Amino acid sequence: MNAISVKNLTYEYEENIKAIDNISFDIPVGSFVSIIGKNGSGKSTLAKLLDGLLIAKSGEIKIFDLILNNKNIKAIRNKIGIVFQNPDNQFISTTVEDDIAFGLENRNIDSNKMQEIVIDFAKKVNMDKYLNKEPSNLSGGQKQRVAIAGVLALNCDIIILDEATSMLDPKGKEEIRQLIVKMKQENPSLTILSITHDIEEAYLSDYIIILENGKIIKQGKHKDIFSNLDELKKLGFETPFFITVKQELLKHGYDFSDCENINDLVEKLCQLM
Amino acid sequence: MNSISFGRYVNYDSFVHKLDARSKILFLICLMIMIFMPFSVWSTSLIFSLIYFVLLIVLMIMSHCSFLSFLKGILSMWFLFLFLIIIFIFVPNPNMSSVLLYQFSDNYAIYWDGVYQAGYIFLRLILMMSLTLILTATTKPLDLTYALEWYMTPLKIINFPVHTIAMMISIALRFIPTFLDEAQRIMKAQASRGVDFSRGGLFKKMKAVISLIIPLFISAFEKSQQLSDAMEARGYDPNSKRSKYRKLKFHLKDLFSAIFVFTLVGFIMYLSIAHGNIDVIDFVFGVKVGF
Ligand SMILES: Nc1ncnc2c1ncn2[C@@H]1O[C@H](COP(=O)(O)OP(=O)(O)OP(=O)(O)O)[C@@H](O)[C@H]1O
Ligand SMILES: [Mg+2]
Repeated sequence: MNAISVKNLTYEYEENIKAIDNISFDIPVGSFVSIIGKNGSGKSTLAKLLDGLLIAKSGEIKIFDLILNNKNIKAIRNKIGIVFQNPDNQFISTTVEDDIAFGLENRNIDSNKMQEIVIDFAKKVNMDKYLNKEPSNLSGGQKQRVAIAGVLALNCDIIILDEATSMLDPKGKEEIRQLIVKMKQENPSLTILSITHDIEEAYLSDYIIILENGKIIKQGKHKDIFSNLDELKKLGFETPFFITVKQELLKHGYDFSDCENINDLVEKLCQLM
Repeated sequence: MNSISFGRYVNYDSFVHKLDARSKILFLICLMIMIFMPFSVWSTSLIFSLIYFVLLIVLMIMSHCSFLSFLKGILSMWFLFLFLIIIFIFVPNPNMSSVLLYQFSDNYAIYWDGVYQAGYIFLRLILMMSLTLILTATTKPLDLTYALEWYMTPLKIINFPVHTIAMMISIALRFIPTFLDEAQRIMKAQASRGVDFSRGGLFKKMKAVISLIIPLFISAFEKSQQLSDAMEARGYDPNSKRSKYRKLKFHLKDLFSAIFVFTLVGFIMYLSIAHGNIDVIDFVFGVKVGF
């Protein structure tokens, strides 16, 4: 079954300038998909279209078995959670706990149950020591973790991360990446759509969609995309660090092509030494 | 930065902090009414003001607020007080029997009444401001907002958008520090491009301020757009029923405090209304102090 199914979607902010230009794709339930593309390629527009924050000019969006329209929009928003790029501008309440609770309040969850849920999800993102802190006292990475907790607490089936790490420092980026991987392990049926222009993040996912000028110029499984590095380079993306390391090692006569991830590689290297 | 932190919420676990925000607002209003109950004999007014002052200091100790920082904050508004004092000294109340204190010239003179009025107003203002500051220093802004929302609930009957206004206030509270940061960042950025915020004539200063305000507005619009997207994406709908994470709760503390406050205010009101012309010094010591 598909969690997201998009058919011939087109969107224009201004007459005849297509921010999204007739795109179609399917995302199966439980998959981890990255959408990559340069600045202005239409990634954020796509995310907003999927959540009904923008209404398409033509085309169809289907979330599970619901077609996105005025009648279904609330039900669809209950299934999708979005984490946006700017950590500050999506922190709605004055403290961490209130912010995690914001979505729950909107769903009219019983006040007595809410406290438990809030603490539970604050723990999941490792923010349970900061419950009554104000956003001005938190780092960008911490604020993004709060945003993720707020989305997870809603028990969404689909999570969209719109460049959730792009405004963070390397430490913050790494925190969020690890959190995504952990999220996926804990709930395999969760569908993750990660929008990014960071190839390292795309490397974590199992399906990749490349967007340019509102069009999909390439999509495919992780293996297919990263087996053709020259093409990736032509499209303007760097080679992921992990692959670069493997290539360099190969040049020196060490073949690690059977390593799946960085942990495997480290283990094998340590055995050699 | 000092004037911003002054009157801000201080995280502490005192008796006053634990009171319900709604009771604190009600008590504040009652106490303000009490402070403004008039007594016609000047020595009586003064004595009552002094009693209020002692009570205020007890309250401050109870709520763990530092009187010195309050005084500093209040004195930073010295120009307001100076203005009031000058007005009251030089424009005496014509109804009062005025005793001359000092004659400057044929047209200008200072009367006892004026000095006494000015001093009295000054005291009352300090009392009122201190009480308000105790409220804001001991109550989380969000709780204050919820309390105001609770008081405005009856207005829902006439379709007054109570919830929307409360949400607006809480968002404003949330974003004030963010905007201050932003303003500082923009100022630094503009200063590094040669804009001088401190020197130059009026025209130059205006230009400098505009170079601050325009980027600030652009960023504010962007922020509000992103914020409304984030709120909508998390299912916010002002017209549908929402539950509340933070619940205001009345406790036994509130009841006891209410009994105390109402008794005190009631007693003072009774005195002022029924015995407005009481002379406390005469009543207690049998001595007439007057002029
Ligand atoms: N509110 C808007 N009004 C008009 N045009 C817009 C608006 N938002 C985006 N656009 C335009 O739509 C196109 C796609 O923008 P979008 O924000 O979706 O790109 P993006 O891939 O998310 O870029 P980035 O990597 O910078 O976030 C761009 O050409 C942009 O100029
Ligand atoms: Mg974007």
